[in-house]
Amino acid sequence: MSDLKIVAQDLYGRSPMRRLVPLWWALGLTALFVASILGMNLDIARIIEGGARLVVMLGQMFPPDFSIFGRIIGPAIETLYVAILGTFLGVIFSLVVGVLAAHNITPHVTLEIALKVFSAFTRAVPALIWALLFIVAVGLGPLPGILALAINSIGMLGKVFAESIEEIDRGQIEAVSATGATPLQIISKAIIPSVTPALVSWSLFRLDINIRYSAVLGVVGAGGIGLELVRSTRMLAFDETLTITILIFVMVWAVEYINNKIRAFIR
Amino acid sequence: MSDGVLEYTRRNLVRRRRIVRLIVLGFTVAVLVSVHGTGFRIQDLYRGIPNILKFLTEDLLPPQFSVWRRFLGPTVETIAMSYAGTFLSVVFSAPLGFFAARNISPSPVVMQVARAVAVFMRTIPPLVWALLLVSIVGIGPFAGTIALGLSGAGMLIKSYADSIEDIDAGQIEAVRATGAGTFAVMMKGVVPQFSPSFVSWSLYRFDLNIRSAAVVGLVGAGGLGFTLSTSVRLFRYQEAAVAILWILGLILAIEFVTAKLRGRLI
Repeated sequence: MSDLKIVAQDLYGRSPMRRLVPLWWALGLTALFVASILGMNLDIARIIEGGARLVVMLGQMFPPDFSIFGRIIGPAIETLYVAILGTFLGVIFSLVVGVLAAHNITPHVTLEIALKVFSAFTRAVPALIWALLFIVAVGLGPLPGILALAINSIGMLGKVFAESIEEIDRGQIEAVSATGATPLQIISKAIIPSVTPALVSWSLFRLDINIRYSAVLGVVGAGGIGLELVRSTRMLAFDETLTITILIFVMVWAVEYINNKIRAFIR
Repeated sequence: MSDGVLEYTRRNLVRRRRIVRLIVLGFTVAVLVSVHGTGFRIQDLYRGIPNILKFLTEDLLPPQFSVWRRFLGPTVETIAMSYAGTFLSVVFSAPLGFFAARNISPSPVVMQVARAVAVFMRTIPPLVWALLLVSIVGIGPFAGTIALGLSGAGMLIKSYADSIEDIDAGQIEAVRATGAGTFAVMMKGVVPQFSPSFVSWSLYRFDLNIRSAAVVGLVGAGGLGFTLSTSVRLFRYQEAAVAILWILGLILAIEFVTAKLRGRLI
């Protein structure tokens, strides 16, 4: 290596080619973006027309029609109920799944693997698709939404609950079992106290996710505030759309805010 | 002294336990009210499970694999939507992330505005964005792309800003002490520390977008979700089953790829 090159490397820490690596990445990723957009076969005329429509739509949106509040408050509350019940059922079933699937306390390895695969599956299929399936299976109303959120929650919570249990200090379990405690006592005295904060925190986080899903369940026909939103856009009543969007925003934001407060307390 | 510490710890523990109990109580009340409000009964679970199994075994299964070719196009479209959406939100969020970080932001007002924009964009669920955009630009993947871009930007601005706030101020000081200008301080003091979390958050968002992209189609915003909802509307459940398997496979594949990429890049 020539002296000059060494000096250059010393000055910049990297060779000139390596210094340009971020640029190659940026160019490549931008090219991929352009390819993605071009590959969509977009109706450009329709999109340009969208600019004009946006102005018209914004004009129709303001002022938002708050007179429909009485009509949409019922579905909004139902949305909250669905999120709460979906989370509740999810937490209950996930506790069972978590205990049985945690590597350190599982009754059998086969059961552990089966439950982990089950969780991975229920987690990977999106909540809205579960809702779509449950509507066909159990009919309309709040029930399919509750079940969809519950099963999607089991996928996530079952996994993190099992992981929290796996992280427990082995010494703690041994200390309790050395006193001659029964398995049930080990669970109640060693496992539950050390995982409770994590479980509560994860469950609240899941409630946060579920309220977002619950708000859009109506899109696939599962009732709640989402259905009102779809109805208003179909009727081109955009002043109502804005009111409903604001209400969804407030609900989701309020749940997130309360959750953050509680989680800060627990930590 | 140590008694004081013990007493303090004990009080903290008692207080903590009390708060946890209060939360559990609050949650229980909320659940009971919800049960009452929705008319949910435990029997529904008993009633529901056989129905679901019946639906699974009689309608959904076996998947009609012969139609798999039909999902190739929508799959590519879903990936394109997620990627383009992620790209837009990264490009949009990178500068705003700097504005929203307390230690870098030019002024507290700018910081608050950037954070408020972020809260607004991410609190409205992607599907609501998609629904609104479909009524503006019409049915198709463009609406989905913009929807993913908007809700992604909401999350990324916050994540970027939080990561920038976590960087070591000493390194910035050290670069500044060499007499470097603002731009040089950014490039040599801030960016090197921030880039691992930048890559990590952006990849994570791509991963999330694949999941969202698969469902924004349910409101007509293109991709696999659109194909799926069409199949369900036409009661072609065995086709829908194939679509669901595709979505599942796609999500798992992208999760695997992003995890690998993250491991290699950081």
